[in-house]
Amino acid sequence: MAELGTLSLFFALALSLYACAGSTIGVRRNLPELVTSARYSAYLIPLPVIVSVMALVGAFLSRDFDIKYVAEHSNAAMSRAYAWVAFYAGNEGSILFLAVALAIAAAVALALAPRLHQASLAYTCSVITGVLAFFLAVLVFLANPFETTVAPVPDGRGMNPLLTHPGMFVHPPMLMTGLITVTIPFAFAIGSLLAGRTGDEWVDTGRTWALASWSILGAGLLLGGWWAYTILGWGGFWAWDPVENAGFMPWLVLTAFVHSIMVQKRRGMFRVWNIALINVAFTSALLGMFINRGGPTPSVHSFAESVLGWVFLGFMVVTALFSFGVLFRRMNNLRNAQRLESKLSREAAFLVNNLLFLAIAFVIIWGQVFPVLSDTVTGVTITVGEPFYNQVNGPLLLAVVFLMGIGPLVPWRRGSLAQLRRALLLPFVIALAVALTLIGFGITKAFPLLAVGLSVAVGVGVIREWYRGTRARHRNGESYPLALIRLISSNRPRYGGYVVHLAVVMMALAIVGSYFFETQRDVRLAPGETASVSGYSITYLESEQRDFPDRAQRIATVEIFNEDGDTLGIFRPEQSFYPSFNLRPARAAIHSTPLEDVYVIPNDFFPDGTVGFRILVNPLVMWMWIAGPVMVLGTVIALWPTRRGARVPAAIFKPAATPTYARAAE
Amino acid sequence: MSSVQGARLSRVRLPAPNGVTRSFPLIAYVIMSILVAFLAVSCAEEVLTLEEQAQAIDQRLMCPVCPAETIDQSQADVAIQMRELVREKLRAGESEDQIYAFFVERYDKGVLAEPPADGFNILVWVFPPAAVVLGLALLWLWIRRLGRPETRHMSSHGDWEAESERYLREVNEEFETFRRTSGHAGISGRG
Repeated sequence: MAELGTLSLFFALALSLYACAGSTIGVRRNLPELVTSARYSAYLIPLPVIVSVMALVGAFLSRDFDIKYVAEHSNAAMSRAYAWVAFYAGNEGSILFLAVALAIAAAVALALAPRLHQASLAYTCSVITGVLAFFLAVLVFLANPFETTVAPVPDGRGMNPLLTHPGMFVHPPMLMTGLITVTIPFAFAIGSLLAGRTGDEWVDTGRTWALASWSILGAGLLLGGWWAYTILGWGGFWAWDPVENAGFMPWLVLTAFVHSIMVQKRRGMFRVWNIALINVAFTSALLGMFINRGGPTPSVHSFAESVLGWVFLGFMVVTALFSFGVLFRRMNNLRNAQRLESKLSREAAFLVNNLLFLAIAFVIIWGQVFPVLSDTVTGVTITVGEPFYNQVNGPLLLAVVFLMGIGPLVPWRRGSLAQLRRALLLPFVIALAVALTLIGFGITKAFPLLAVGLSVAVGVGVIREWYRGTRARHRNGESYPLALIRLISSNRPRYGGYVVHLAVVMMALAIVGSYFFETQRDVRLAPGETASVSGYSITYLESEQRDFPDRAQRIATVEIFNEDGDTLGIFRPEQSFYPSFNLRPARAAIHSTPLEDVYVIPNDFFPDGTVGFRILVNPLVMWMWIAGPVMVLGTVIALWPTRRGARVPAAIFKPAATPTYARAAE
Repeated sequence: MSSVQGARLSRVRLPAPNGVTRSFPLIAYVIMSILVAFLAVSCAEEVLTLEEQAQAIDQRLMCPVCPAETIDQSQADVAIQMRELVREKLRAGESEDQIYAFFVERYDKGVLAEPPADGFNILVWVFPPAAVVLGLALLWLWIRRLGRPETRHMSSHGDWEAESERYLREVNEEFETFRRTSGHAGISGRG
């Protein structure tokens, strides 16, 4: 099994080196056969990589503890279902996962690439397979998951118990797939630059892949939050931990990119800027992978520190220099096709959006790097933790929400203050009314009031756009549901974007609710005792202990009652102790409603039979998890391909592509 | 949108913006009075219970043995002991700053989750806002440059010839956009 895995990795490496070199030489020497042959071998790379993945998963299934990686990340007691999770639980396996995801995405992207200019496609192929070759080379020479041990062990160490969670089947794969697929839009951008094609041909493909990678990464981050919420035992879903940040940073840069690329798609502007942005996105994805492999600051999630981190850092520096070098060389040919007509236009709004997202990403990098700087200068290690990010990025995120309320209502090209004022009046009046109502309920903190008010304004703005568009179509004789569907499909990027904005509003509400208005109590209860937290009563009934070879599991049975004394059900939260890891992952009891979650987690089982519980009442958290599917839905709408020839952009015949108030004169 | 048509439209619309401006002062008054009321309310100091104070402190102290977790988050023994110590000290009447000072004395500055703003470390706080301001300034300059007309006669408003030329250019652009978005070289079907 081990030999098969290693061998196929070698084979994949050889193929990708051939594809990279063949493509480059072929296009330079004008040998079309070589270019084609190189592309076909790029299509082949996934096969050997998948074979080695199967070999590794197979080794986990057959408990082949001769393989070091298998022995370190599984044991005989582990359920076989977790073989898939164990496969990427460690450093080597996760790199193999990155490689397989990139290999498949690369083959699909190259096969589906529209009839781009031949040279662009050839260079794109070189860039993608070059990156792939890096990962495969790391696997073969530095982090081979198939390495066998000299001294075989009878049983493995076991998988990190924090990973024994259903979320782990999808969260790490999505996060890693999201991070690595940034390579694809990056390769299309750099590929067309290398070919000297400075126009907008790469834009559609680049946007599609960037959006795909953006939404996979976003969903991965949300799943990670859900995992943390249910297992880490402190009742939150985001802590600005280095590894969370590592995934969030590229996501932010990609968010900036998927907005500003629309300007190039529609208006042929920001050509240099968009390529710079996708370069930064790719660089920050590599930075993220570096942080995950023993970066500058400690984290709860990271793999053990290793020399590999520095290899990734080196690769990041090389690709950044290369990609910006290429951009610099072609800069003079990347002229904007149009000029910016007004400072009050969608184009300008997107630029402000980009500034904000880059600023948030920058704050994260700064927070990660500063402890190292401070240590070097002052000799004292300081921590840059959650309070820092909340205080610095909080206002920036608020500004993002504010801009989200305004930006979509500013027309392309040129808006006027009078129009804008009219478009903003209703959303902001309603927002104000909501804020006033909240003050009436005794909520006086400035930040949550602002955040909720602005979120409401965004929501109202979006819903009104839908309502107006649907009504206009309904007047032309379409039924309401049909009108809504036709409206959305008439401009998918725009209405898909609105769906995503609604998801962001949900997240904003969930964040504000749980950050500012959670109630937390740590209590110690004897069986039969009851604790009450903001209206809910939690009765601890009994506990039991189950012993397994690798862990001692303790289950507490609790019953939750609401204010009226009605039972909300009996829950069995648990905590397990894994001696070999010295870890105590817990599983919370969560009673979830759209309004608030009651969250009970047993943290301490005392010898006298009492149990230390942490009880939280967390408002609005459920909306965080609802936002995930909504965000993905919005992305799918935005990406759904248009039937060729079926659509005539509204922009040509009527100014409907600008928001509806442009038709206010009707 | 043609500029000729645009000009006609803006004349038709004239009353509307006026209506808005007339109602605007009213809204401004409403907003201002609300802000004043709101400030008055938020100035009233919130009274925190000891437990709430303790939790706020927990969230600002790092657990010294666990990577990147505060003592509020961590379930390590040290964290649990530190949480108890925080409550004891609060009960004994110590202030928040005294408690932080105690833990810094014991575990060094790294125990603070919020980086202290002293000496060199003040940079961690100063740099991000400075970068945002710098970014805004650069953005402003860039937007101005992007808006600069490439040839002079295009920008001369009121000149009929230039206006119609601009209109033609816009139409061309839109065809260009259409071709780009639909992947077609011409208009098919509907019109």
